[in-house]
Amino acid sequence: MDPAKLDLDTLRQLAILQPESASTRILALLLCGAFLIAVLMLVYRGKLREEYTPIWTMVAAGMMVAIVWFDSVRLLTRLVGAWTPSSTLFFFGLVFLLIVSLNYAVRLSGLSLQLKLLAQEVALLRQQLAAHGEVSKTDDTQS
Amino acid sequence: MHPHFKESRSLLIIPALNEEASIGRVIDGVRATGIDIDVLVIDDGSRDQTAELATKHGALVVSHPFNLGYGAAIQTGYKFAVRHGYAELVQMDADGQHDPAYVPDLLEPIRADEFDIVIGSRFVRESGYEMGSARSAGRVFFQRVLAFFGGPHIADPTSGLQALSRKAFEFCCSDFYPSDFPDIDVLLLLDRQGFRIHEVPVEMAPSPPGRKTMHAGLKTIYYPYKMLLSTFRSWRTPVSPGAR
Repeated sequence: MDPAKLDLDTLRQLAILQPESASTRILALLLCGAFLIAVLMLVYRGKLREEYTPIWTMVAAGMMVAIVWFDSVRLLTRLVGAWTPSSTLFFFGLVFLLIVSLNYAVRLSGLSLQLKLLAQEVALLRQQLAAHGEVSKTDDTQS
Repeated sequence: MHPHFKESRSLLIIPALNEEASIGRVIDGVRATGIDIDVLVIDDGSRDQTAELATKHGALVVSHPFNLGYGAAIQTGYKFAVRHGYAELVQMDADGQHDPAYVPDLLEPIRADEFDIVIGSRFVRESGYEMGSARSAGRVFFQRVLAFFGGPHIADPTSGLQALSRKAFEFCCSDFYPSDFPDIDVLLLLDRQGFRIHEVPVEMAPSPPGRKTMHAGLKTIYYPYKMLLSTFRSWRTPVSPGAR
């Protein structure tokens, strides 16, 4: 190929078709496997509730598919108009993180409201109990 | 119901966070006026002797298990008032800035059923109260925001000295009520729901020096930002026909 005749489209095709290194793929597969095991261990130890795992399991599975079938990433790269598969992965990674962060912010807002309602209820009930002499001041401060 | 506690049809609520230096004086000040009103201190997770001192000075005390914020403390007072059947309520700050001598002036229009929210205002009449330039600018800004969203003109939209009718504080027990700063957003929502708002002139002492307020540090940026968003939400909230 005559480098003088390289146009932008050809350059882009070259970038998309660049061969992925076997060591990178193996490392990525190992990381995905480790991530899956970490999720399972967190569930096993009771630190992560089952209902929060599907998203992370799907991410790990999706990454594995992308590593094994790298042409899917190339296809995606062409579709979004990116130049390199790595930039496509970074782009979707960032979008995913943004969505996840927003989702957790929404969940936190709901939990904050529930926590406020509970704390107010505890305070009002404590006052009611104290007024009836069922809770001594000592108990109140100890708790 | 606590017969030895609920003695009046009116309740004065005082949200307090680490106010041991002033809470006793404030409660004594209320008692000294001879007003027939029960006093409730909402201890918002204080780490000092605020709750103990308030009890010692004869106030009812509700203690949050941890700090929830000024708005949440006020709302706890509203919920207490609803549960114990109070007919009207006054709220004032625990730092001694508000003079309890104005409580009858605030309650009068509520008892006469002329208004639902009565604000003790430093600016409805020349009171000589000196506000810093930043806070003055903030006050004008919030008045403009309120006007932009079709709210009423309120000379002192950030005054914490207010009286509310039962219907108004019942309404404020809903989830919309902010945990941090209930200001123009709440006033706009109440106005849009048909509650009648009025201001009466009061004089206030300056804020105690060194006191952390919403007008300090990064909150000077966050507060107007948050207020804009929540005012927008109030504006978008549909009017419920039976609210008032």
